[in-house]
Amino acid sequence: MLDAVPADRLQFAFTIMFHYLFPIGTMGLAPYVAAYTWKAAHTRDPDAALAARFWTKIFAINFAAGVVTGIPMEFQFGTNWAEFSRHAGAVVGQPLAMEGFFAFFLESVFLGILLYRRRAQPTALVAWSAVLVCLGAWLSGFFIVSTNSWMQHPVGYSVASNGIVRLESIGALFLSSWTWWQFAHVLTGALLAGSMIVAGCGAYYLLAGREAALGRRFVRAGTIASFTFAALAAFPTGDGNAKDVTTYQPVKLAAMEGLFETTGSAPLAIIGMPDPVGQTLIDPVYVPSFLSFLAYGNFTANVNGLREYPHDQWPPIELTYYAYHVMVGLGTIFFGVTGIALVALVLGRLERARWILWPLMLLMPFPYIANEAGWTVSEVGRQPWIVYGVMRTAQGASPTVNSGEAVFTIIGFAGMYFLLGVLFLILVLREIGLGPSHAEDA
Amino acid sequence: MLGTMAFGVIAFILTAYVLLDGYDLGIAAIAPLIARGDRERAAAMAAIGPFWNGNEVWLIAGGGALFALFPAVYASSFSGFYLPFMVVLWMLMFRGIALELRDRLDSHLWRQFWDAAFWLSSLLLVVLFGVALGNLVRGLPLDARGYFTGTFAFLLNPYALFVAVFAVAALALHGAAFARLRIEGAPAERALALAGRLWWLVLALYVGTSAATIAVRGTPPAVWLYVVPAMSLASLIALRVALVRRRNGVAFTASSLFLASLLLETAGTLYPYLLPAYPPGHGGVSIADASPSPLALTVGLSVSIGGIVAVLIYASAVWRILAAKISVE
Repeated sequence: MLDAVPADRLQFAFTIMFHYLFPIGTMGLAPYVAAYTWKAAHTRDPDAALAARFWTKIFAINFAAGVVTGIPMEFQFGTNWAEFSRHAGAVVGQPLAMEGFFAFFLESVFLGILLYRRRAQPTALVAWSAVLVCLGAWLSGFFIVSTNSWMQHPVGYSVASNGIVRLESIGALFLSSWTWWQFAHVLTGALLAGSMIVAGCGAYYLLAGREAALGRRFVRAGTIASFTFAALAAFPTGDGNAKDVTTYQPVKLAAMEGLFETTGSAPLAIIGMPDPVGQTLIDPVYVPSFLSFLAYGNFTANVNGLREYPHDQWPPIELTYYAYHVMVGLGTIFFGVTGIALVALVLGRLERARWILWPLMLLMPFPYIANEAGWTVSEVGRQPWIVYGVMRTAQGASPTVNSGEAVFTIIGFAGMYFLLGVLFLILVLREIGLGPSHAEDA
Repeated sequence: MLGTMAFGVIAFILTAYVLLDGYDLGIAAIAPLIARGDRERAAAMAAIGPFWNGNEVWLIAGGGALFALFPAVYASSFSGFYLPFMVVLWMLMFRGIALELRDRLDSHLWRQFWDAAFWLSSLLLVVLFGVALGNLVRGLPLDARGYFTGTFAFLLNPYALFVAVFAVAALALHGAAFARLRIEGAPAERALALAGRLWWLVLALYVGTSAATIAVRGTPPAVWLYVVPAMSLASLIALRVALVRRRNGVAFTASSLFLASLLLETAGTLYPYLLPAYPPGHGGVSIADASPSPLALTVGLSVSIGGIVAVLIYASAVWRILAAKISVE
């Protein structure tokens, strides 16, 4: 049997992680839709028009799935986290309201033009709409990250005697360094995913011996962009995030690294299995002194271990640790593979180098895992707090919702999302299978 | 003062939602009656294709605005109505899936399935919204913090169910009026005939709901007893005249005004409570109870009002661009 709070958490984790698969696609592919549409509208390049139509279709399926799974997110703070909403709504409600008014309307209204005024040759109006849809997708990400970043590192607020959080400065929330580093990292992650999808689709067409012209274009553009974003994901955006974690959430940093004992010249664990009972890292492989350097820019600095903090302030160690290592490990692989592909591109061999096209194609799903793992570090590592240092997660749940109700709705969401996930895969794989040159069907 | 403005903004957003998503829910509800065969059903879907998503954003923006302006009400109402609200969310999702996926595979069975799913989920949504509105007017059992203490069965009372029937009829009429704006040919003629019959039903249910509301809540002050109902009746009569004269734009405007007057009446009846207690006359969660600090209200109000103005400007430009009628011939 599940208690109410774990059931609420399970439902939120499941619905947000499933939902987030689609914003990765919309934020990451929107610039490609905008760029190809713009090019097609302004240069009469027929291949760009085909590419614009192809990526608009994939984008639209992503967008629809994102909207459908996003609707519950707007309301779940109220349904399952009523005490959190009642106490902190005056702050976290603001960026969420802004997202509705400034991002969702922009995206949905101009997507209407993009989809329903689409002709073989896009007009300047359609090209501008594509740019505004991209802007809407990114703004939506910005407002959501602002909300989350306040929960990670609350600023611009005070707490009244009855425990209600009062908004003191909305500017502080938007200007917080945490907001900007996290947004930069989140957007880079989505752009990396979008770029690897573009490169991977191109690789598939070249390997399959079809769509040669567009396949080449996708591989080239996708490879250059993927390598760029893989680099930016590590530095400066990942590094900036990590420095904020070091400063404001040192317990999370220790959990990410499985560091139990406070250590000078702390080594970076590449692999190893944390054991929270024995409080050690089993079978570790270390890079000497590198954790001290990453956290403090100094190879001898002290890094606090978990034992410095009361047990009731530890996040779940294993999940935080593994999620972090999966993210960093995958990011390193992306950097390496796209780097090799870039060298092949510069040497003019990429299109015939099947040994590198294969990994480019097979890597397509993995940026999704890396993005989800990154959010897992951020959210699981924030526990046991719902608002860091201010309100505990267990205090935030709805008093009127019991575990029976939450379990029922988890099952309902699971059924609905299973159906949606299957349909999404069928439709996207079908579009990729038909290819950009496939004659317009409707 | 700020709190009253915030109350007005929330009422405005919900009214916009009912007028806009109302027509696409309404078309869905009457689609089996006005559109026969695959081509006509496709036209009914295409009539709302570019718009439904933006229309639904009014609901999402309303949720965000309620969160920012009245966090206590956002918290207690959605957690209090947990199960019915989850069903609303699932139906919204199912309906969105149906709309988006219907035309993506060239298979007769695929489209028939999604047509049925679209009809059923839309109809159920209108019923649930009607039940919610009815209970809001009738009042809710609340504890000291404003949390709902009743049961699912409490919500399914005769008054709320009656309001739900009225909601289905009124939005079906609204949908028929919108269908005439967007579709040409046989479905438009059937929509006109249907609207003529629905009009009498809506009139009867309007009179019945008004009487039932007085029975449930007592007699309201004169402005809510005479002035606003006079507006409702006037727009209903204008709708009839416009239908007879085949003035589609006037008919849709009159239907919109009718719905807006009903929501104005509802807001006026509730004020100054956001969640009135049951039985009526025993307080509830008022604007003052639920308001955050003046700064939070000011920020939330600036965002909402600025956002609404901006959206109305660019969305109406886009609506004009996409306004061409759909022909099934």
